[in-house]
Parts: sequence; structure tokens; C-alpha cells
Amino acid sequence: MSMDFTEFKRRIGAEPRSGDPELIAARDLSPEHRETVIKAEAFEQKLERAVDLPAPSDLLERITSVTSMEGNKRRNWWPVAMAASVLVAVGAAGMGWKMSQGWESVEAYVVDHYRHDGDKVVAMALEGGPADVHAMLARFDLDATPELANIVSLIKYCPTPEGKGIHMILDTQNGPLTVIYMPDTHVTDREMLAFDQMEALLIDLESGSAAIIGADSQRIEDYYAVIHDSIVPLPDPS
Amino acid sequence: MSNEDRQLLKFNGLAQAYGADLFRYAMWICGNEALSKDLVQETYLRAWKAVDSLKDEKAAKSWLITILRREYARTFERKVPKFTDVETVVVPEDSELEPDDRAEVQLLRQGIMKLAPKYREPLLLQVVLGYSCQEIAAELDISKSAVMTQLFRAREQLKERLQKDGVTGNVHGLY
Repeated sequence: MSMDFTEFKRRIGAEPRSGDPELIAARDLSPEHRETVIKAEAFEQKLERAVDLPAPSDLLERITSVTSMEGNKRRNWWPVAMAASVLVAVGAAGMGWKMSQGWESVEAYVVDHYRHDGDKVVAMALEGGPADVHAMLARFDLDATPELANIVSLIKYCPTPEGKGIHMILDTQNGPLTVIYMPDTHVTDREMLAFDQMEALLIDLESGSAAIIGADSQRIEDYYAVIHDSIVPLPDPS
Repeated sequence: MSNEDRQLLKFNGLAQAYGADLFRYAMWICGNEALSKDLVQETYLRAWKAVDSLKDEKAAKSWLITILRREYARTFERKVPKFTDVETVVVPEDSELEPDDRAEVQLLRQGIMKLAPKYREPLLLQVVLGYSCQEIAAELDISKSAVMTQLFRAREQLKERLQKDGVTGNVHGLY
């Protein structure tokens, strides 16, 4: 029994490139059927173009970097990767800093982190673009009050002593300041570090800790309260 | 070659084969590049930890997608991120598309973002990842008939959007 036109349209609309022999046979039942197939294919090509978003250039590097995370027990991967593919070599190069983790203290981590990419991230923030502060913090069951959210010009995830954390750039009256949020860590509140003409102010939070980093002329202590009071637990949806 | 070396090669093969598709899928479900990269990285981290358990590499794509969907649900069960970045992806000027076609592609992107998740997700599984209706049904744990209905309605809604907001006369001719 041949498929009626309504059913044919429904099935073409659901799966335009179906290999079902019954559907393929029905394509030539009438000019109306053929026209439906042509229109469906034209739409499908547009749909494919629409969903085809470009993947970022560092995606493979990020993916392959996971093999060196989590105190990787597979110690022999580097020489094998060199032989096997350039892809892995790129991943490993990008992870050089992460692989050196095992910091003796949060203080050592903060200094090491800023030396690794602090200036570069500040430069990226100056290029602008919206920062999705709330969604990024929600991953840690945290949110930001408007006082903080409104001055974040860049936010990204970063490695911290106890796993993934957050690296933010604040656009302040004192110039761009770096803030690193470190979950599951505790520091001596208001401890000040000095390195490379930079200062870092450590802040002990209800959940985790943070460091504000800026040049010694930037009066980072002015922003202690903003960070301390503005990184807050995510409200319970109930 | 040791077992660990083989696992690493297998993992790198999965990264190259499916990384970009998983990213595209993540972008369409959460709409934010940073979060999408993070979701994909978390997916592969979990996959790496369990790569020994993947015996049939033909099942790798659905295995990775299942991990990604669970990770998304776990991460954003309390707060769903707003779509921000998909809208900013512009169809390249040097693409082979005519200007009107590029405008239609942008309209389609807006339409996809506005689809209800129950329509958007099966459509993306099909168009981005090449899933059959049967595979979508298995992934979403619904009947094949329900999948077909959702796919049909998703496309109808997108066509209606193009007809309503279309910039060219040929839009009406197409549907």
C-alpha cells in the first residue's frame, strides 16, 4: 500500500535524508511528492550551514590536555604522543604550566599563575566582549552581585591548587585588576604578597578564597570589600 | 606498544574525530563559547578516565554525547546559561552564499536558539551529529514516533520563521 501524501510530508519533514526504502520509493509517486523532496533538501542545506559553528583553534589542545590532569598515572604518554601525533605535542606544550602544579602553598600558586598568563589575560580583557559572570560562577554554586558583575570585563576558567577555578579581569577606576577565585582553598585573610612590581591581596571567602592582583600603584586593597562581599552563594531555586 | 599507549592513541583519535562536533552541539545547547569548551573538556576528562571501558569504537560518538548531556544537566541543573555567543557568530562574507542566503542562515540560527529544548535537541542530534531517529530516541529515552513528531515540528517552526521574517522572495518559493 502506497504512503499517502500527508504521511509522506511528515516523514520527509522529520528525516529528509532517510534511507528508508519505502520513503525513497514514494518520492516519485507524483510531481507533488518530487517537489516536496526538492524543497526539503534545499531547506536542509541551509539548516546545515546554520548549525555549522566554527570550533575554536585551541579546542584540541584543551581536549588532549586532560590526559595530564588529575595526577595522571599514565606517565609514559609524552614520548608516545610525540611519535603518534602532532596534536598531542601541541596539547602537552600548552599544559606545561599546569603540569608543573604541586605548588607548596596558595601564595606560591598565585604568584606562579600570574607570571604564567596574568599580563596576557589583562590584554585580552582590554579587547572587550561580554562576560558571562553568572553562568561561569554558577558552576561553583556561586553568583556575583551587580557590584562585581558590572565591572568584570573578562572571565575564564583556570587551574587552581584544588581543581578548576576562575580568572577574572575587573575594569576598575584603578585600571584593570586580576582576580583569581580558588575553590576549596583557605588563606590568611588580607595577606599581601609582593612580586615583580605587582601586589596580590588574598581574601578568605565563605567558600574558597580569592586573590586580587595588580601593580603596586593600583591600590588593590580598595577592592577587598567588592570581592569579599560580592562572590556569594547561588540562591536556592526553591 | 603498551596498553596505556594504546589507550592514549585511542583517546587522541576520539578527540580528533568528535571534538569539533561535540563543541558545536554544546554551543547549541548552552550558547556560550567558554562554557561549551569547558563542557567538552569535562566530557573528554570523564571519557579519559573510563576509556578502558569503551570496547566498541563505533559506539564512541553516542558514548561521548551521553557523557556531555549528563555533564550539562549536572552543571546547569540550578541555573541555565543565557545564549550569548551563537548570535555573534557571523556567516563569513567570503562564503559561497549570496548575501540574502547569508541573512537566511542568520535567521535560522536565531530560530534554532528560540526553539523549545524538546524540539531543538533532537534536531541538533540529527543535523549536527548525524543521528538517525532511532538513535535519537535511544539517547533521549523517548519513542521513535515522538522523535519524528518533534523533528517535523522543529523544521516547521523554522520554516515559519523564515517565511515571516525572510528577506527574499525565494523564501516563500522554498516552502
